Amino acid sequence: MSAFIDARTIETGTSQSPDLAIIGGGPAGIALAMALADTQFKVLLLESGGMNFDPAVQKMYAGQETGYEPLDADRLRYLGGGTNHWGGWCRPMDASDFMIRDWVPSSGWPFGRETLEPYFPRAQSLVEAGAWAYDRGGDALASSHAPMLPLGKGGIYTTWFQFSKMQDDVLPTQFGHRYADDLRGQANLTVWLNANVTGIRLAANGASVDHLDVATLNGKSFTVKPRYTVLACGGIENARLLLVSNDVMQTGIGNGADLVGRYFADNPIPRDVATMVVFGGKLASYYSDRMDMGHGARLKAAFAPTDDYRGIARIGGSLTTVEQPVDLDDVGKAAVATTAAALGVDAGSARAYSLGCGLELIPDPDRRVTLTPEKDALGLARLKMVNTISDEDFARYRRTLEELGRQLLASKSGMLRINCTTREEWMKNMDWGHHHLGTTRMHDDPRRGVVDSNSRVHGLPNLYVAGSSVFPSYGASNPTMNLIALTLRLADHIKAVMA
Amino acid sequence: MKRRTMIAGGAVAGLAAAGAWRLGLLGGYAPTPYDDLLDQLDARDDAILLGQKATDMPEARALADELRSHIGEAGLAAAVSGDIAAGRMTEVAGWILPQTVAQMAALAAKA
Repeated sequence: MSAFIDARTIETGTSQSPDLAIIGGGPAGIALAMALADTQFKVLLLESGGMNFDPAVQKMYAGQETGYEPLDADRLRYLGGGTNHWGGWCRPMDASDFMIRDWVPSSGWPFGRETLEPYFPRAQSLVEAGAWAYDRGGDALASSHAPMLPLGKGGIYTTWFQFSKMQDDVLPTQFGHRYADDLRGQANLTVWLNANVTGIRLAANGASVDHLDVATLNGKSFTVKPRYTVLACGGIENARLLLVSNDVMQTGIGNGADLVGRYFADNPIPRDVATMVVFGGKLASYYSDRMDMGHGARLKAAFAPTDDYRGIARIGGSLTTVEQPVDLDDVGKAAVATTAAALGVDAGSARAYSLGCGLELIPDPDRRVTLTPEKDALGLARLKMVNTISDEDFARYRRTLEELGRQLLASKSGMLRINCTTREEWMKNMDWGHHHLGTTRMHDDPRRGVVDSNSRVHGLPNLYVAGSSVFPSYGASNPTMNLIALTLRLADHIKAVMA
Repeated sequence: MKRRTMIAGGAVAGLAAAGAWRLGLLGGYAPTPYDDLLDQLDARDDAILLGQKATDMPEARALADELRSHIGEAGLAAAVSGDIAAGRMTEVAGWILPQTVAQMAALAAKA
């Protein structure tokens, strides 16, 4: 049995020397710890929070932000991390999300989707999203319940989200509560709760990590001297901890190329971006709501550009979903009547639905987090976030909607109105996915990435970064299941290097 | 009745009928030089309303010339299908429309 230890009860000055220290008990940290369960390595998981929300701990997230939501409002700092408030939306990233795309500056991973595919089944199992039914598998399942909306031949296809569901119908899986017993049952693992890493300390020559400084909010402090360290604090905090650990490398660890904290991205979710009319009126419920298809699979349909079309139209990733029925104005009714008549289609029962979407942003080095002079309760510099979304991001998505509209007409199943043209219209109903991506980006060239293709910080043999902060380009899929797959790959790598 | 009176009476009646058409009193539309095209619209009132939103369209005569050339012998439905297949789409008030539909609506509004 492992131990969950409240670090606030540990004597100051205590020192630990595990084989591996995992900083952060979110989905990446927990998945990594569990993946090392069958090894002889001694693992210490350091979680800043406890088992439940604590306002004093949460407040350490606070910072300044421009164009974004409060930094202490869209994250959760206790065991389970972001899975304590996620929506459970899952979908594997597309092949083109990994590719170098000449129309997407700074895009491309050091490897393709095929590298992650062996890890997707286990990731899917950990998020408890049921049988793998994305894409064509979902088509078959959904069609057996109700007809899919036909789309004419073109660049947009129907794809599927699946949804995490914890045991006993609790939705979705919250990793801290769900896997606490698994972690407790892991003989090689110790979990310190309420243990905040306040600095990653390098050897004097800067060639490796020497130790971690750990502190609690009740005044205790400790040293952890691991052979290897994995930073798994989330897409914003990973960058923060590297930047504040600047005693040896004055610009922060891994920041020789001034990349730590840059290229931040989220998936913007503008609502009511378009109105889709279905001439026949009926639309299967899995378009607007998640639907239980059996085998543990809960599906919701989305419209996505194919990998090929993304290149042809020079667009980014997007996932367009049906939101709710809406009424048409007189011009809308006239457009439907005129067009349906010209197509020879009966639109007497037509119904309209609003569409929303999740978008991939173009990587931007100026969308970033930086340190401020303000300090948190443990003396760590707070962050400033500058978030932006470009007109080109909207223009690219508009082309996606135009193609979807064309394909609805081609199948004579419906038509589409784009509701947003000006920046103000796009921003009017803007939500964010709270997907924190890109701040410690992956690239094999240390001038272009913070970590290499194994998620190891360039120049440091014993420091790794887990989670979506290493995503160098993003796609539109929700990151949790993908970052878990990437973490499981990291686990295999770490097993090999630590052996 | 003198022949001159008969001609004058007929002209007045014709003008009155045209006016009534324009006012919708006779349930149809005033004759236009484009009726060979507009008669293909099953929902002409709707097309007029939609067409009023179609800005950046040529004048009626030029539109009609283009439509006649495009629709040709195949007819409206074939032209519309051809637009969709070829990606000839036009946006009117946000609606993604086959170009021919948008042009027909614009012509209906201008006629």
